[in-house]
Amino acid sequence: MRMRWKTIATAAFGLAMALPAAAQQQPRNQITIMREIDSDRYDPHRTTALAGGEVLTMLSDTLVSMDFDMRTIRPGLAERWEVSPDGKTYTFHLRRDVTFCDGRALTADDVVYSINRWIGRTTPRVVSPVAWRAGNVKEVRAVDPYTVEYELNEPFGELLSQLTQFFGSIVDRATVERLGDNFGVQGFNGTGPYCWASWTPRSELVLTRHPTYRWGPPVLQNRGPAHVERVVWRVIPEAAARVAALQAGQADITQYIPEAFWDGMRRVPTLRTSNQENYFWDVFMGFKVDKPVVSDLAIRRAAHMAVDRVGLARAIWSGHATPARNIVNPNALDYDAQSDAMVPNYDPAAARRTLDEAGWRMGPDGVRVKDGQRATFLMYAINNLANQRAAEIIQQGLRQVGIEMRVQLFDATVAWGRLATQEFDAYILSYPYISATDALSLYWHSRNRPSPNRMNWNDPQTDAWLEEARRGLTPEARATATANIQRRLAEQAPWLTLARNQLTVFATQRVEGARAHGLYGIGIYRGLDLRVVR
Amino acid sequence: MSATASAGPVTAPRRPSAFRMLMKDTGAAIALVFVVLIVLAAVFAPWLAPKDPYETDLMSIMSPPSADYWFGTDGQGRDIFARTLYGLQVTLFMGLTSLIIGGVLGALVGFLAAYYKRLDGLLMRFMDILLSFPAILFGLALAAIFGPGLTSVIIALSIATIPLMARIVRGAAVVVMGLDYIEAARAVGMTDKRIMLRHLAPNCLSPIFVFATLRLGQVILLGSALSFLGLGAQPPVAELGAMASQGRNFLFIAPHISVVPSIAIFAVVLAFNVLGDALRDALDPRLRI
Amino acid sequence: MAKYALQRLALAIPVLLGVLLVGFFLMQVVPTDPAIIRAGPQATQDVVEAIREELGLNKPLWQQFGLYMWRLFQGDLGVSIINNVAVTQELGDTIGPTLELMVASLFWSIPLGILMGTLAAYWRGSLIDRGIMAISVAGVSVPVFFIGLLMIWLLGFQWQLLPFTGRGGPLWTMDGIMAIILPALTLGGVFVGPVARMTRTAVVDMLSADHVRTARAKGLNEFLVVLRHALRNALIPVITLIGLQIGFLLGGAVVTETIFSWPGVGRLAVGAILSSDFPMAQGTIIVLSLGFILINLAVDLLYAVLDPRVRLS
Repeated sequence: MRMRWKTIATAAFGLAMALPAAAQQQPRNQITIMREIDSDRYDPHRTTALAGGEVLTMLSDTLVSMDFDMRTIRPGLAERWEVSPDGKTYTFHLRRDVTFCDGRALTADDVVYSINRWIGRTTPRVVSPVAWRAGNVKEVRAVDPYTVEYELNEPFGELLSQLTQFFGSIVDRATVERLGDNFGVQGFNGTGPYCWASWTPRSELVLTRHPTYRWGPPVLQNRGPAHVERVVWRVIPEAAARVAALQAGQADITQYIPEAFWDGMRRVPTLRTSNQENYFWDVFMGFKVDKPVVSDLAIRRAAHMAVDRVGLARAIWSGHATPARNIVNPNALDYDAQSDAMVPNYDPAAARRTLDEAGWRMGPDGVRVKDGQRATFLMYAINNLANQRAAEIIQQGLRQVGIEMRVQLFDATVAWGRLATQEFDAYILSYPYISATDALSLYWHSRNRPSPNRMNWNDPQTDAWLEEARRGLTPEARATATANIQRRLAEQAPWLTLARNQLTVFATQRVEGARAHGLYGIGIYRGLDLRVVR
Repeated sequence: MSATASAGPVTAPRRPSAFRMLMKDTGAAIALVFVVLIVLAAVFAPWLAPKDPYETDLMSIMSPPSADYWFGTDGQGRDIFARTLYGLQVTLFMGLTSLIIGGVLGALVGFLAAYYKRLDGLLMRFMDILLSFPAILFGLALAAIFGPGLTSVIIALSIATIPLMARIVRGAAVVVMGLDYIEAARAVGMTDKRIMLRHLAPNCLSPIFVFATLRLGQVILLGSALSFLGLGAQPPVAELGAMASQGRNFLFIAPHISVVPSIAIFAVVLAFNVLGDALRDALDPRLRI
Repeated sequence: MAKYALQRLALAIPVLLGVLLVGFFLMQVVPTDPAIIRAGPQATQDVVEAIREELGLNKPLWQQFGLYMWRLFQGDLGVSIINNVAVTQELGDTIGPTLELMVASLFWSIPLGILMGTLAAYWRGSLIDRGIMAISVAGVSVPVFFIGLLMIWLLGFQWQLLPFTGRGGPLWTMDGIMAIILPALTLGGVFVGPVARMTRTAVVDMLSADHVRTARAKGLNEFLVVLRHALRNALIPVITLIGLQIGFLLGGAVVTETIFSWPGVGRLAVGAILSSDFPMAQGTIIVLSLGFILINLAVDLLYAVLDPRVRLS
């Protein structure tokens, strides 16, 4: 009897020792990428989520591609292109060796269909919230099987950089029509380096290598086919679990590590990191300028002075975010330094003075009052950790100068719907952009109300400057126009830039080639260079 | 045991002796003292807390416990000690409110079932049905209907408490109903309401008391679990389960953010459970083994 | 026996209808119009109207209820607002992992709890009894998320012994077993206490029962007396009580699944509620409720089979 117990105990101990090794096993030739949330679908013309985009860049290709400097346009499906002198017609010459995952060859008709689907000109009509990114299209036509003419009604200086984004992904018409509403839900057919295998929503999405892929963009070292056979996109909502999974080698790559862990993780010898300096993704708080309380310039300026952006960057992002003032990142094209100086700095005393002067008197409950109106407003945001924490800190900062901010956070899946309404007075959101023109035309054109112009900013002068910048006939004219807008917005303070995010992709030593790209926030671009080394 | 017979027709709870018995049990005595301390801490949180529980100190984010911050600070630089005190307040409020609402309704059902034989079958069958669903389901359903929040949790926990209380009260009341003097009271022409209030209710007090103490622990545990899931108290409200949930994101860099509120819940629930067990032993000697 | 079973079944039917009715009204009282959610923020009024027509939302309430019952009967619980996947399909995918987790937790916690309870009962009043009862009262007082967080922090992160990020695969694979250990330890951890307490009470009762005294008086081996006469007879009420405690286990399962990213019904339900995915929330709540009606029915019948006295009363 005693003997047997001893054997069992020894066996149990042996098993316990065997556990760590077993726990770290991952199939060879498979790479697991972790993320925080899933997308609602994987249809480039219907989704705008980063969670959708990061997978779509692996599943499909775009006409042109973006280099790591975030400025240079490189070939993609189009090996070369010409622009007409009036800036209205782009002619793309397609590669002839491209095939979809199902083996069918890509032709100009596929490009025409996909662009038309993006801008809502196919039946059944899909509505892409970002159709405007394709420019004011007159017609996209196939001249021959390998030539596409892209004609605009007016020049659009940003067209090529917009076409690098995943919204311009080329999809297979037959698959779209066969799957209908379930396109990008039950299946996909693209020309990308990886093909759709299976999707379990909110859990994992599996991609397999596109074996005949040889047309990778020249920004990457490997032109195809991909080195790895399977890429698994796994949703792990808990930040801590992602950190540990990476350290334990249960997953290979992620860009979704809270900044608080960065310093520690950079010291872990089994991990590699890759940073992208040219990363434009800002967190901001926008005010609806036509709603009570926040319509008062004094309140908006006081809010700027009440929020400690330096402290916020240190607290929420552990110093791995850049404290911000102006709307546009200093590294981005057409940033205006003068308007930066016009944005009010953190100064609670000045905020109180501003409010006093504007007639907002302190009420008995610590909230200011003017003409019977309490200085209170409602703020909406997506419910994630950074927003939760930022909201609480901002709330506290505002409370100290006598402004009450009520907070309502929504799960990402419903937040977008709520953020399109007029129910709230302010909101926190973050967004990626390529240049000043890109950033400004998204949010400030009166045509973009109520969403994404949730500020309800309605100013003909801004609209005129935006049109000028978008046409972008000369770089100088564009720079002047965008600078004018930046100055006006700095004055009117409808937008409080909270921080500029930084991008770091973390990977285990097991994989190579996980270089941070950052277009639209996407960490791994196409994923062709990914390779298992151990 | 023979004392039961000599005590007359009604086994009234003998408070002094019960209390003395309670104090003889060291664990129970400690639990009682602890419960009193917790309640005092929660009630006097605004005076006891060294800092504002919502004040964010951006210079000390996630600091470990120190002389300045006894339990450290959380992800927003808020004092966890102050937040724990306020958290006790919110958590106890949540527990007590749902216990009172569910308890009163449940007791009413129990009395009615015991007193009016015609209602008994129907009411208790309905209670059985309610009882067959776990409390967490009520929590999920209420959060789905009214949206996540403290109110949803309180309603859910109240509903889950009703059938339990109804059973306890009915059980106790049926025994009393069988006693001769209720018949006598009826014969004298006492109204139903009067009989219920004067005779029935007082004699059910001790099982109710025992049940309430034990149930409070369970309710707190359930409520904090719902808050932990995000279905209960919403940030920035300092609720212990919600605090533990927020800290979960920093478990590996600053474990104290989750561990402190978790231990607080554990300690409170443990105290109520130990006290409840001891009360049961003291008030209801028949259950003692 | 058959009569009793039929009786219980007949009683379950109104409960079932009640649950379905509640499920139906759940969708009626939610503050959001399902058609608008389904249509998305950019939809025009005619699109919303078309969806309203398609979903039958324009019909009178009783007709909608009929439609809902008819769909349910066909196994159609609607479609998720979030990703258009059929609710039944998602439920089908998640029920397995939840059952897996529950069984794995019971697998170790019931034997351990019964062992602890028996030991405590046998040496009642002793230090062992007090120790075991202290552990079990602590067990019923600890928040399940606290155990889970400690497991993740220490076993998962500090010592890197076991994975804690979701299901590793089917249980017959090494990965699958590795991945379920921590969640099963967490969930089972809160169940040991109740089982131990119930067992102790039942065994103590049995030890003072006549037939056990007789067995002892006959000079039977003490170990055999406890095992054969006391514990075996005590098992009937214990098993029944365990059956009735499955609801308690479910509460823990919801939290455990969330902490460990376990792809089960509980996590699905919480996710659906937090994201206002009402069809999915409704589906999970209905299915979980039905599960409970069935479990209770099964426990009742099992009890009746094991203990004939129930049938007679």
